[in-house]
Amino acid sequence: MSTPDSHSGVPQGKILVLATESCAYPGADSVGQAHSSYPANVHILRVKAPVLFPERFYLDCLEKGIGGIIIMSCGEECPYEGAYKAMARRLDRIYERMKERGLDIRRVRLTAICTVCNRAFLNEVNQMEQVLQELGATAAA
Amino acid sequence: MDLTEHTFDALVVGGGIAGLQAALDLADQGHRTAIIEKDASIGGKMIRLSKVFPTLDCASCITTPKMAAAAHHGAITLFTCCDLNAVAREDAGFVADVTQQPRYVDVDKCIGCRKCEYACPVLVEDAEQGGFSGRKAIRIPFSNAIPQKAVLDVENCMLCGKCASVCPTGAVVYDQKPEPLRIRAGAVVLATGFELTPIEDKRQYGSGEIPNVVSSMQMERLLAPHGPYGRVLRPSDGKVPDSIAYVQCAGSRDASMGVSYCSRVCCMYAIKQAMLLSGSLPLADITIYYMDIRAFGKNYEQFYQNAKAMGIEFVKAKVARLDPGEDGAVAVRFEDQSGEGVSTREHDLVVLSMGMLPGWQPGEACSVSTASDGFVRTIRPKMAPSLTDVDGVFVAGVAAGPKDIVDTITEAGGAAMEAAKYLAAHAARNQAQGRTQGRTQGQEATNG
Amino acid sequence: MAELEKTTPLPAGNQAEPQANGSRTDGSQTDEPRVGVYICYCGGNISDHVDVEAVRERMENVPGVAVARTNMFMCSDPGQELIMEDLRSGTINRVVVASCAPSLHETTFRAAIARAGGNPYQYEHANIREQVSWVHHGDPATDKATRMVAAATGKARLLRPLEPIRVDALRRAVVVGGGVAGLRAALDLAERGIEVALVEKSAFLGGGVARLGRLAPTGEDAAGLVADLAGRVLAHPAIVVHAGATVTSFGGYVGNFKMEISPAPAGDPATGPAAASAQAQETGAPGRLADLAPGDYAPGRGVAAPLLASGPLALETGVVVLATGFADYQPRSGEYGFAEHPEVVTLPRLLRELAARDGQTGNVLLLDGRPIRRVGIIHCVGSRQIPGVHQEDENGHLNEHCSRVCCSAAINAANTIRESWPDTHVYEFYRDIRTYGRGQEEQYARASANKVVFLRFSAEEPPVVRRGTEADGFPLVLGVKDELTFGEDLDVPVDLVALATGMEPGPIPELVDMLKLPVGADRFLLEVHPKLRPVELPVAGVFLAGTCQAPMDAGETCNAASAAAVKAVSLLGRGFVELDPFVAEVNAEACTGCGACVEACLNEGALALEEVETDGATATRARVTPALCLGCGACAAVCPEQAIDVNGWTLAQYEAMVEMIVSDAPFASCGTCASRAGCGAGAETAPGA
Repeated sequence: MSTPDSHSGVPQGKILVLATESCAYPGADSVGQAHSSYPANVHILRVKAPVLFPERFYLDCLEKGIGGIIIMSCGEECPYEGAYKAMARRLDRIYERMKERGLDIRRVRLTAICTVCNRAFLNEVNQMEQVLQELGATAAA
Repeated sequence: MDLTEHTFDALVVGGGIAGLQAALDLADQGHRTAIIEKDASIGGKMIRLSKVFPTLDCASCITTPKMAAAAHHGAITLFTCCDLNAVAREDAGFVADVTQQPRYVDVDKCIGCRKCEYACPVLVEDAEQGGFSGRKAIRIPFSNAIPQKAVLDVENCMLCGKCASVCPTGAVVYDQKPEPLRIRAGAVVLATGFELTPIEDKRQYGSGEIPNVVSSMQMERLLAPHGPYGRVLRPSDGKVPDSIAYVQCAGSRDASMGVSYCSRVCCMYAIKQAMLLSGSLPLADITIYYMDIRAFGKNYEQFYQNAKAMGIEFVKAKVARLDPGEDGAVAVRFEDQSGEGVSTREHDLVVLSMGMLPGWQPGEACSVSTASDGFVRTIRPKMAPSLTDVDGVFVAGVAAGPKDIVDTITEAGGAAMEAAKYLAAHAARNQAQGRTQGRTQGQEATNG
Repeated sequence: MAELEKTTPLPAGNQAEPQANGSRTDGSQTDEPRVGVYICYCGGNISDHVDVEAVRERMENVPGVAVARTNMFMCSDPGQELIMEDLRSGTINRVVVASCAPSLHETTFRAAIARAGGNPYQYEHANIREQVSWVHHGDPATDKATRMVAAATGKARLLRPLEPIRVDALRRAVVVGGGVAGLRAALDLAERGIEVALVEKSAFLGGGVARLGRLAPTGEDAAGLVADLAGRVLAHPAIVVHAGATVTSFGGYVGNFKMEISPAPAGDPATGPAAASAQAQETGAPGRLADLAPGDYAPGRGVAAPLLASGPLALETGVVVLATGFADYQPRSGEYGFAEHPEVVTLPRLLRELAARDGQTGNVLLLDGRPIRRVGIIHCVGSRQIPGVHQEDENGHLNEHCSRVCCSAAINAANTIRESWPDTHVYEFYRDIRTYGRGQEEQYARASANKVVFLRFSAEEPPVVRRGTEADGFPLVLGVKDELTFGEDLDVPVDLVALATGMEPGPIPELVDMLKLPVGADRFLLEVHPKLRPVELPVAGVFLAGTCQAPMDAGETCNAASAAAVKAVSLLGRGFVELDPFVAEVNAEACTGCGACVEACLNEGALALEEVETDGATATRARVTPALCLGCGACAAVCPEQAIDVNGWTLAQYEAMVEMIVSDAPFASCGTCASRAGCGAGAETAPGA
């Protein structure tokens, strides 16, 4: 792991996970129930549907010092019909604006995590961890 | 002494998970419901468990919300420390004679601060902790008990007066007497639960005399987050056990103990405990001696296969006897059905997977009959499983035969449905007959 | 444990004027945020890995926090009482509990707040067990817990009081499925005064149980039970039965669902479980179904029910009970010789044959005119399948679950055969005998007394069915490595092999799509929680009954159906339903009526533009229909004026949470500098704390 931050000895850079209430958030709970550990710089927020967040939210997060964002949706299982497609379209616009600002788009990822997708969850957070190690702890260079 | 009388729509006998669920489902329909519980706290056996299969949720996390919901429900009244003497039909409903046993504490004054408990000089073996640790003669029954009120154990109290002198509210009452209560209700739900088969009855397993042979309930306490040692240790010498064995069907499927039935939960709780043990003692070898693994519920088989994959050893064998072994170990003599015949292995700690016995016998107290297994007889086990042979008396949970928590909770809902239908039918009949004194009509007003 | 209930009283923003509690609708000046933080030890589940007291101390540095406390079990009565007392004393007006997953206790704490007179929606939950203490260890766990609790306070400060949305509820229910679960639920609901429409895909009531004979272990006649139950349903004035009907559309919300049903297309394989048509072929179709009148009993099929003649028929209902049942596992061709040897049948087929011979006796059982001297019953066919051992079906599924009923059914069949036809011998090939239920173990013992032979195989080495030779004297031979005789290889020549096939969920993909039903890894419908909410689904007002949820026997099915009915009765009892207020709200002053939100809205009808009069002028504004709003927030993201947001989950609240996650303020070593905003070191003790 990279240099510990001044307080906690966890890898530098904070990963924000936007996890859907009906799939990914209980999925993260399921990882907990299995006592599978993952880096402690992963911070999970419960959302009803990530379609709530406008493009500027992501850019603001990166500016505030979040190193990477994983949007963990329900995918095609989404209880809000059409929300996943709308989210995918929004992601394209987020990427456009990130590129405009010279931000590496690997810092924001959209994925689908189910309530029992323990392995997929761990893969996602570990991959983002790698991205941060490669690109630096925060996007604000 | 004056007889205190109370009138409700429904009376639930037993405040374990079955009784709580039945009461909640009745009260949510607007029926005024009483729960009588012989213990000082509601919560039954479930609140005493460590974690529960197959989700491995902590038992407390699942039980406490239901306990709190019942305690706070506007339509539910709890009567703890109460013994049911008799319940009989009277007019359109039932009347129950109940004895309110003394807590020696005024519950209206007690604020649950535990000052009495800290001051009490008497230490007694704590049955709530499997007998592995001590408790005071006056104490809050256990950390998440409801009600959170002290109770004094008069057998062990030496009347030193310390508790009364430190109590900030003057709640200790040394001369409290048993009080008779009369509870009237339109319908009765029996949710009287179970006791474990006694370890003393099993001579070939040492009758409880062999060190480091413990019951499954004692192991629950060793595994519980707020258990007696805070971790799993061997009771005789405090050694961390390297090898732990489970003896399945230690109190079930055994006509010699008078328990020819399957207790239905022992396979799963043994597997659960084995999984928890392999988490807290990763180096320990865990062996389960079994006849058949009965992992029949939703996600139970998958749970069992996970346990096998974790390295827990399952040996298909009937354990013939247990004997004291070397250095506090226990010698397990068993007939291996898929191997070499009779062999003996030593384990540091042996857990007996005890079965279930009825927690209450109606006897003279209630005219419901029991079946040959001792549990309450149900008259329509397929289409209305909570019906007893007394009209208006229903049964839920282990009172009607061994059951796991999931099945118990579902059955409690079913019993509440049957009781509610009975109350509605009676109210309608009473109305049709133009009777006005009907005690069972209250619910119609609230549901109408 | 009491010594763990330490308290950090902190001064809050406006303690000079302690507020009356329960000021739900008071003006903004009373709503200065005073957040109470309550951190749970969870009896060691959290405190073994998170330094709970350190987290509590760090909350002293967090702005807006009025008090921070800890408890061994926050969910316990004394734990809840801590919160309620602080609310009642006016010390706090917003609550953060840091404990286990919100799915377990969020409602517990909201209810406690309401009991203390607070607003239950001024509450935020920090999940520091499943998402901290169980996945991180040591200082990083404590630090992450600190950030997550701080983030929760950031959101809590911005939480406004909300009121639940009250929706009038129709006292009506639709029950989907006419097996015993659906029948039981329909009767229970009707007897409690709720009007019921029962929708059944096939032409018959009785479902899976109607296909059985004598039920294990008590020997009740399935036909009699089904006829009685269905008869009472058909006769009940509050129940309308629509057989031969399928659900073709679904919408609305709890209390006010709208459903359309249409006649099931004739000859459509979807009109019954695939098993049903196979069974019809096996038994030889009755052929004179047209002659049956509603209420007539057709052996092996159930009670004929009135058919939906034309459609679509619109139903309006307050609740929906799903009782869609199960399908018998259909063995693959070649599985234990199935479809290769005519002498290999399924146990359900054998049970129907035995039902047809109910009460008959003889020396030897005759099947298709053939004497059956020996029958071998193989257990766990299509159940307890193990990845890497068993072959997946064409869709990649394995049935890893135990089907629960087959052991008893097989043993019941064995006893019937042994006691009615003593020259027919029975061999049971099993993995574990699961006679768990009341009276079942006794049947197992009776089978032993009846000289039924038990042979135990391992999943890795299942029995092999092969054609017998003339020397065998039987058409089939079952070869098995018997674990009960120390792994001896045995050959058992038999006349008949019966496969104890398991239960699979009924094929209901259309319903799953239409109602957006959660399905577990085992493909059965998935309840919210097996113990906390065993018959409920995440969609309010939709309940589960019976074997659509998991394998069950008839008694267990009726318990589940009654449990579902009791929840439905409780829900509809008051004639209205309260819904979470987490829906979109328009700030009419900021709205310009551009319509971007309406465009983005994912649920038709939830958002619309309307003309409103403001100051004498007509303007276009967006309007939300709360009962239809999903609360997804698609509108909030696209509003150029930020004039619409989701109550309880606003963008500003998320921004505040992110601020707190990146903030190092909680970690400031405090001392008594008193310089940092919100730090209370050295200040006066909060009143009432």
